Amino acid sequence: MNDIVKIGCGSAYASDWLEPAKALADSGLVDYLAFDCLAERTLALAQIRKLADPSTGQDLRLARIMEDFAGFLGSNRTIVGNFGAANPDAAAADVVAGARKAGLDGLRVGVIRGDDVLKQVLDLDVALPERGVTAGQVRDRIVSAHAYIGAEPVVELLGEGARFVLGGRIADPSLFVGPICHELGWDLDDWASVGVATVAGHLLECGIHVTGANFADPPLRVLPALHDLAAPFAQVTSDRRVIVGKLDGTGGGVTEATVKTQLGYEVNDPAAYLTPDVTADFSALQVREIGPDRVEVTGAGGQAAPERLKVLVGLDLGFDVVGEVSYGGPGCVERARLAADVMRERFAPFAEGIDELRVDLLGVDALFEGRLQRGYPAEVRLRLAVRCADCDTATAVAEHVEFLYFAVAGGGGVTKSMRPAIGVTPAYLDRDTVRLETEVVTA
Amino acid sequence: MKLRDIAYSRSGDKGEVSNVCVFVYDPADYRRIVEELTVEAVEAAFRPLVKGEIVRYEMPTLHGLNFVMQDALAGGVSMSLRVDPHGKSFQSLVLDIEV
Repeated sequence: MNDIVKIGCGSAYASDWLEPAKALADSGLVDYLAFDCLAERTLALAQIRKLADPSTGQDLRLARIMEDFAGFLGSNRTIVGNFGAANPDAAAADVVAGARKAGLDGLRVGVIRGDDVLKQVLDLDVALPERGVTAGQVRDRIVSAHAYIGAEPVVELLGEGARFVLGGRIADPSLFVGPICHELGWDLDDWASVGVATVAGHLLECGIHVTGANFADPPLRVLPALHDLAAPFAQVTSDRRVIVGKLDGTGGGVTEATVKTQLGYEVNDPAAYLTPDVTADFSALQVREIGPDRVEVTGAGGQAAPERLKVLVGLDLGFDVVGEVSYGGPGCVERARLAADVMRERFAPFAEGIDELRVDLLGVDALFEGRLQRGYPAEVRLRLAVRCADCDTATAVAEHVEFLYFAVAGGGGVTKSMRPAIGVTPAYLDRDTVRLETEVVTA
Repeated sequence: MKLRDIAYSRSGDKGEVSNVCVFVYDPADYRRIVEELTVEAVEAAFRPLVKGEIVRYEMPTLHGLNFVMQDALAGGVSMSLRVDPHGKSFQSLVLDIEV
């Protein structure tokens, strides 16, 4: 058992840039790196890849990660991540292959299975409250269902000597809670301590968000070298302090303000931040700058973990077609609106296959739907977004988007795109219906 | 003046729910936003962009407020046809409110 654990963020989503994490790994400042690889929709897309090829569905960066972080793993340090996505065993195979290639023979790789709960969701016909239906009513549209799982299997595998731990939908903060509780000897039912670990995880899980991303607003809020934002790290101590920092010489900053904005990010009730591990209490936090790019956070608490686990259910919604065109000068707004009306007529023959048609004037009302008005624009870009129930309708709609060049005067720069529409919607399962298993494989 | 002159913000999303948190630069301004940045003031800025209930949480030790908005994202990041399905830009709209 230790008095302090040093942990950094390796990744905040599936296509995150890895250079800042590599610099942090090479610095020697951290003993653990946790990689979050999954945004809300990533798992549904991974399941679709797996359907086409059962040997895939895992994070696609593992070969590169095993090369770039071989030195980190080779110096007795540890990586935890939800690299498994839809296929934890495929991810483990990639890690084992990468370890052997890098000369890391004998690396113990911990695999967590069981977050894939598609069978339970269908068998129990669970409610999908945001859709107002049950799973059974949209059975033919469901492509995936994964439960957010907590730190318990991570702690178990670390205890068995695993130095690369991976699973599917391990919750973002839990990727950090596992190593923190393992190192500090915190029991997972010591809710106050798990609350502290969860604050650390929440601060780090979005990577550069706490070092200056999504933050600058000149002239009021400016940070240096925004092109080179750092991967953050935290030191968590046995007396329940969390100190967030970044590597010297990198861009951005770790300040009271960057920490506060991340503390509030994607939080509902600050006294009840729900994760699979704990109901964390952020309502009495103290944030204090204790040095350059070093901020201390204290005062976190926690109550018992939620009884049910949140599940994200992936739904096949058909296809989205998006077309855009620009107009400028006098009358540009009126021409854009007329062009939208013309396009509605062009799409009319396919109305049966169109579930939703959205019209935006970029530069006028796209972000705030008219809540802010600032005079007549010099130019606008018309955007038509069409949700189609099937591929044939989408193909036809996409063909007609070209007509944006001809509908009214002066339309330039037509672009169009078509892609599958995959949505995710929440559901909830009792914990005892989600059975996890762990295994250690050796490279 | 605009809220932007005394405060900063960030918006996040979970499904159809958007949260917009606001923090003052100077702790002395905290009472002022508690009094002036009411749910009604935020509703006036965000309706009908946000369709559901808006709840405000106070964070006195952080000198901030958190607004949780239901049915705010036209289906959420994975379903919405909006240009900004996450509502990342909501943090800028709140700063346009007059205080």
